[in-house]
Amino acid sequence: MSLQRISLKFVGPSGQGINTVGKIFSKTLKSSGFHIFATREYPSLIKGGVASYQIDFAYSPINSSSKLVDLVCSLDKDSLLNNIDSTKENSIVILNSENTEEDHFSEYSKKKNLTLLTLNAQKIASENGGIEIMGNTVLLGLLARILSLKSNVVYEQLLENFKSKKIDTEAEKKCLEAGYNSPLFRPEYTNLLKVEKGLNILNKSPKFLTTGNDALALGAIGCGVRAFYGYPMTPATSIFKYLGETSKETGILVKQAENEITAVQMTMGSMAMGARSFTATSGGGFDLMVETISCSGISENPLVIVLAQRAGAGTGLPTWSGAGDLTSAVKAGHGEFPRAVLAVSDINSCYTLIQKAFNIAEKYQIPVVLLTEKVIAESLFSTDSLPKNIALERGLTQGTSRYGITDNGVSNRWLPESNKKTFLMNSDEHMESGWSTENAEEATRMVSKRMNKIMALKKEIPEPQYFGNINAKTIVIGWGSTKNTMIDLLKYNKEIGYLHYEYMFPLKTDFLKNLLRKNDKEVVLVENNFEGQLGKLITEETGINFSKKLLKYDGRTLTVDDITEFLNN
Amino acid sequence: MENNTNIYNTELIPTWCPGCGNFAIHASLKSALSELKIDPSSTYISFDIGCNGNGAGSINAFGFKGLHGRSIPLAIGAHLANRKFTVIADIGDGGCFHEGLDHIVHAIRSNYDITILIHNNMNFALTTGQATATTQQKKAMYGLPDGKPERDLDIINFLLSLSPTFYARGYSGDLKTLVVLMKEGIKHKGCSVIEIIQLCPTYNKELTPMWFAEYSADVATIKEYDNSDIKKVKNFFNNDAKDIIYTGLLSKQDGIPTFYDRLPSREGIKTDLVEEVKQYNVKNLLKDFE
Repeated sequence: MSLQRISLKFVGPSGQGINTVGKIFSKTLKSSGFHIFATREYPSLIKGGVASYQIDFAYSPINSSSKLVDLVCSLDKDSLLNNIDSTKENSIVILNSENTEEDHFSEYSKKKNLTLLTLNAQKIASENGGIEIMGNTVLLGLLARILSLKSNVVYEQLLENFKSKKIDTEAEKKCLEAGYNSPLFRPEYTNLLKVEKGLNILNKSPKFLTTGNDALALGAIGCGVRAFYGYPMTPATSIFKYLGETSKETGILVKQAENEITAVQMTMGSMAMGARSFTATSGGGFDLMVETISCSGISENPLVIVLAQRAGAGTGLPTWSGAGDLTSAVKAGHGEFPRAVLAVSDINSCYTLIQKAFNIAEKYQIPVVLLTEKVIAESLFSTDSLPKNIALERGLTQGTSRYGITDNGVSNRWLPESNKKTFLMNSDEHMESGWSTENAEEATRMVSKRMNKIMALKKEIPEPQYFGNINAKTIVIGWGSTKNTMIDLLKYNKEIGYLHYEYMFPLKTDFLKNLLRKNDKEVVLVENNFEGQLGKLITEETGINFSKKLLKYDGRTLTVDDITEFLNN
Repeated sequence: MENNTNIYNTELIPTWCPGCGNFAIHASLKSALSELKIDPSSTYISFDIGCNGNGAGSINAFGFKGLHGRSIPLAIGAHLANRKFTVIADIGDGGCFHEGLDHIVHAIRSNYDITILIHNNMNFALTTGQATATTQQKKAMYGLPDGKPERDLDIINFLLSLSPTFYARGYSGDLKTLVVLMKEGIKHKGCSVIEIIQLCPTYNKELTPMWFAEYSADVATIKEYDNSDIKKVKNFFNNDAKDIIYTGLLSKQDGIPTFYDRLPSREGIKTDLVEEVKQYNVKNLLKDFE
């Protein structure tokens, strides 16, 4: 698999433009015909610390990051030292340093046979009429040369990126050319990465680059969402940003509420009135919303919450990825009530599942939690197209009693409107009319009615998706971003299969049970958490136990290497 | 539509104690809506948890009895979705000044076009008489045989510090004035806060109609009191107010835009959000991702 994909990592102090160079270079690669997957890692602070922007690229669709990279471009020495272990053997390292003679890396260089190219990018920028930050442009020039990319493609993306800012375009161009024509470049570097000349097949470029959160926000816009209520919390915040930045075009009402409780309550109010709206948060904010989820359950008011997971309990690792909130999403809330929990994995599922979430919420009049992860939310995926909008299912009917008893538990729901029959929605136990009751029989009837909706919903939702060899002896089971890594792994490993869950609750297990009917399969659970939370849900539902588990909970996502290594042991 | 409060009645009889101020508050609200000719099906009321919320169902309107302390944001969400509705948030002093204190602050600051009715009976009554921030300091309450240790909340100066565009104080023993204040509050374009001093014969026996008559005054009776001048109003309550219960329309500021009216994304759009729920073609938006 060596160089079917190339992995490149920008590293540097947070706030020094790592994200900008990463974005510009991602777009350059896309425009040069590559599919990419780009992910950011950064500390929870504004300036300082070490941030990185890793871009994996290939000629075919790519969904995950490599563990080790072929090429590092570091804005300073400390950042490089911090990341030197993530280099492959024979990789090329570009280091920006004032002291180009100094060599702190000879030990590493020798061990891994690295090629270290040190240049004083700021000095070169200033010699070419640029300001200090244009040192980054010099580095982009050199990178483009090593990867045989055209410098004018970089330049176009640079202009595009800064189109709303006043920049010295002439100086940028000169800095870019200075990097491109750097005397440090040797033709053998290009050979080292085995990138052949003439790779630039422009007509084969994927059409779009988008993050998971942007795709999710687009999906929401596509299915008629008219209001978003939020409160900042990484990694959910960029949903808010995108909806806000496009609100003049879409007319969507975007409100930064005073806290998460307010955000979710406002969402409830708008949904009760009949406007599709949602909120998005991470684990801590989600906890604050939990009482409202329970309220949504008993009052049968549709509710959609996006839970963007990061690693850890409490404040945890606030800017790192994880998938440890599944149990919370499935179990959170006092009392017993029906709900649905869905989990995205990539931009396609981000776009489609937010639309599904609304259909389920409205049709079944229940709370729906849509799980995403930092690595999906903030990473850039490339694609030729996003899925089509799915038809709106709102479950609106006419009726006379808002909580009427039915076989499947779903009562008539109509929207407040002048001259329509009025109704009271109620978080107290209530009668069919909506009025409160404490009568034992009525309480039994109402609880049963609501819980029946789980059975009805379970009939509608699909079985998990199976990828890879259907006769495989080894089957990996996972959810969320695990799919992206597994899809990349299955390109090289034709011996195994992967079972992917995106409907987490209610949980469908017939396909899995059928698959395991013959006792000759080995099942491997792969999750980005400590407990194996999907595994626990499956065990609860089926009694199937998992003895082989790859669980990672260090804030980093699973890589192809992680899983391959585990399977080989 | 006839001027008839009966259309707001339902067959559900409220469970309040005899003599509870809530009867008068509900009657006043029904009269106010009726006199303003607002149909029950054009009214949305969010109820809090507490004695006020136990009236949910006994007033004919679209409504939601939600969670303790949260009737204000719930009402705001409903209002923003469909501004054709008259939206009222019903809440007690416990819900408003304890559990959900944040909401009143930001609702006033944001100036959403809703009406907030604060039923201030000076205690948590439904849970059988615990102290709230408005209970008199040192008064013995549930679990506090030696009296409430904390100081009281100065509601007037607290709310005035937020520069409310409409702040009135009514009294459950004076229906006539309460109806007038509610009508004014509902008509006001912006966040109308109506705090209602509510008789609670079970847990606040000290507050009797006679006591109230002796220790209260309508600001309308004060010479040179100008409720349209927020600076003067603040100054009066900071410096000149006596140790009595002031009622009436304390502050009314017209011409301050509502939250919705400040949104560039909604400028020039005639429809309400509820009318716009349909598929949207994102093709144009996707260009930014090419």
